[in-house]
Amino acid sequence: MNMIMSEPVAIPDSNSPAGMLEGDLVKRARRGDLKAYDELVQRYQQRIYATIYHMTSNHEDANDLAQESFIKAYSALPSFKGGSTFYTWLYRIAVNKTINFLKQRKNKHHMSLNDLDFNAENDPDLVALISDKTPVQAAGLSELQKKLNEALLKLSEPHRTVVVLHDVQGQSHEEIAEILGCNIGTVRSRLFYARQQLQGFLAEYVKQI
Amino acid sequence: MKDNEQNFTELKKLLKLKQHEIPPPGYFNHFSGDVISRIRSGEAGASTFAERLEKQAPWLMNFLHIFEAKPGIVGGLATSLCLLLLLGVVFTENTDPSSKNIIVGAEVASQSSAATVAVTAPNFVANSGGIQATTNPAVSLQPVATLFGQANPLLQSAGFSPR
Repeated sequence: MNMIMSEPVAIPDSNSPAGMLEGDLVKRARRGDLKAYDELVQRYQQRIYATIYHMTSNHEDANDLAQESFIKAYSALPSFKGGSTFYTWLYRIAVNKTINFLKQRKNKHHMSLNDLDFNAENDPDLVALISDKTPVQAAGLSELQKKLNEALLKLSEPHRTVVVLHDVQGQSHEEIAEILGCNIGTVRSRLFYARQQLQGFLAEYVKQI
Repeated sequence: MKDNEQNFTELKKLLKLKQHEIPPPGYFNHFSGDVISRIRSGEAGASTFAERLEKQAPWLMNFLHIFEAKPGIVGGLATSLCLLLLLGVVFTENTDPSSKNIIVGAEVASQSSAATVAVTAPNFVANSGGIQATTNPAVSLQPVATLFGQANPLLQSAGFSPR
């Protein structure tokens, strides 16, 4: 499964929910059509789950928060004015919910990391990491994964969110600004500060690349 | 800015590892079904107290978030409240003599007025069989006469003057 975000692809010329455009699905879901909403959930479940997972570093929390985000979005559909895309609006709900959750949880971080896929070992950048005779090689990818998640959890929620959305999920500065409800300058400065911090936390590993 | 981007190239490569983290196989097969069944069971309409409060009074939630973020403020407030309470207790115990005189004077006055009432309304008391009829429920069933001939301080006279 690819965790990077991509534009939703609509299949035209079909009366089934799977072939409908996002706007039509939203209209039907607002009228209480759960089949249409089910299609919307299926379209965005991976991206929403991945974003929350990368912010929490915990699969169980990500599962709960992702489900709750979709449920909350359904109940709030009547208030969705269409000023932004449904996808941006949904993201805003999920990110806010996750940030609130993390604030309540404070520093009680409990990692429950997902496995790495098979492609990780074939990624040229990651191969370079483990092929050299470095401390990283001894640690292996799993250890590196753990260190990376620990470093991310040391960041404040707003900084972690920006790094996850930009550097992990591949969203643009403009999209992130829209999701977080702030200006692009804020996104850029948060991203810079967060990267600086991460570089400090992971100095040992970053130098090896 | 370009230099900064270049400085972070290595970090970005490292962050690519996050993209390879995947949930357990088949996890998304049931995800949407679970969401829809939770919506069907009525969870979509039910919002928590905190969510309702956040909608209706966001300022209050922001205020509470300050407390969450800075527990020192909560400690300071609690300490000052305790000090205020302590000061209140100390000042109440050490009341000045002038206020004591006022209290004693008030007691004497109430006793003399009670005696006056007992003298001015003896017939009515006699007719009511020792029970004072009054509209005040607290004293309506209080016996007027006492065993030792002292006036009942709770006694109140009832007036029936026509207008």
